[in-house]
Amino acid sequence: MDKSHFDRHTSAQYNAELEEARKNLMQMGGLVEQQVEDALRALMEMDSALAQRVIDTDQTVNDMELEIDEECTRILALRHPAASDLRFVIAVTKAVNDLERMGDEASKVAKHTLELADTGSGPQGYVELRHIGEKVRQMVSQSLDSFARLNTDSALAVLQQDQAVDLEYGTAIRTLVTTMIEDPRTITRALNVMWSLRSLERIGDHARNVAESVIYLVKGQDVRHIKLDEVEAQIRKK
Amino acid sequence: MTLTHQYAKQKAETVTVTKTEPDQFDIGDWTQTVGDPLLDDPRLSARNMDVFYADNQAIHNVSLDIGKNEVISMIGPSGCGKSTFLRTLNRMNDSIDICRVTGEVILDGDNIYSKSMDVVELRAKVGMVFQKPNPFPKSIYDNVAYGPRIHGLVSRRTELDEVVETALRKAGLWDEAKDRLDKPATGLSGGQQQRLCIARTIAVSPEVILMDEPCSALDPIATARIEELIAELSKNYTIAIVTHSMQQAARVSQRTAYFHLGKLIEVGDTDKIFTSPDHKLTEDYITGRFG
Repeated sequence: MDKSHFDRHTSAQYNAELEEARKNLMQMGGLVEQQVEDALRALMEMDSALAQRVIDTDQTVNDMELEIDEECTRILALRHPAASDLRFVIAVTKAVNDLERMGDEASKVAKHTLELADTGSGPQGYVELRHIGEKVRQMVSQSLDSFARLNTDSALAVLQQDQAVDLEYGTAIRTLVTTMIEDPRTITRALNVMWSLRSLERIGDHARNVAESVIYLVKGQDVRHIKLDEVEAQIRKK
Repeated sequence: MTLTHQYAKQKAETVTVTKTEPDQFDIGDWTQTVGDPLLDDPRLSARNMDVFYADNQAIHNVSLDIGKNEVISMIGPSGCGKSTFLRTLNRMNDSIDICRVTGEVILDGDNIYSKSMDVVELRAKVGMVFQKPNPFPKSIYDNVAYGPRIHGLVSRRTELDEVVETALRKAGLWDEAKDRLDKPATGLSGGQQQRLCIARTIAVSPEVILMDEPCSALDPIATARIEELIAELSKNYTIAIVTHSMQQAARVSQRTAYFHLGKLIEVGDTDKIFTSPDHKLTEDYITGRFG
């Protein structure tokens, strides 16, 4: 299945409607990707102005979610899509939901950044934040790329990265807990870092969901809640 | 695949049921159907059916089982042979002079195309409902009573009354028709006439009911009633339905067969066919793409 697959309907209007939904999803994806990237940069550089911009962008992302959902509802009502078209509309609806949640989490990171900027900077947890943040940013980018190219290998890679991020997240939380026990004065700061890490980890989870939607769209297989090697087997099938 | 059906067992070796990789599938070299056309315990089995109209081959080597109490829908573009195939299942094609049929259709262990088969009896076992409601120009009662009478299924009037009532009840028409049984059937609405035709079909207790686009002349409400009726009837009968409405196929059937240029391209569970069909031609048809 490639992108041209969706341009071949007898009804040109139908082609246009699906293309419009796809285009808007990609646009929303680009916006959220930028939001995640900006939230990370604002955090690393303690840039309050940039953090505020991330929070402000969230409204646009929310509006896009409503708009694309409405488009999908219209397609479902008027076109009664089946097979790959049905999977496409379902995948778009789900991906839009995940992207909106990613936007919310990026805003949360930005809010914690503002609080961290108020309490003054400190080094605890920054290495972990940078490391996990960079991985998560890549996951978001790759999940959107796999949707655009309908590439299941790339989607699988996102699922693999999510597992790595989850592991690193666990380690980072343990380190922060140790810091808090050793020096209770760091608790306020450490909590903000912890919540930011939590948001980043959630963004990774949503990127994973988008990647799973891509596999469902292309392969017709629901790969949620199954082990990674089973997902790989599903993808390699046929 | 294990085939318990005696005849199917004998014939299994002449039928190819292995799955084809859809990507390697070329309609020009077609030999195999994607999916599982054969069942373990079928009600009706078509084997290696070829149908010709004069020199023109309309059906190419179609083998398909229809299960007990199953609703199977046959879909495909106009001229794909789905109606022709349906008509082979109770020898309706016999009435067309230029039509020639080869292959076998097995019902209750007998080939319906064998010389000894009584076609009248066959059509009592395999009833048919057509695209346009076609009640006889008789009363509602006589329409339903016609079959049981000519087949000699009942001897007394009270018995016949019972058969008529049961058939009309099963067809969901009793409440609307009970006070006007002696009135002409042509006075009923289109949807009621179609339900009357279904009542007429089930009055002779068939094993299989064939429906050739039974709702294409009906409005959405009448269509919904017929679809409801199909679900109800499937508890007691085996139903094969040809439909142009893919939503209808998706709603009423458990299995779907896709025909293309006289070939059975893909058979499978309806859920699977409408969410992730294996064959590209099936996918293209149900999603409204160019063939």
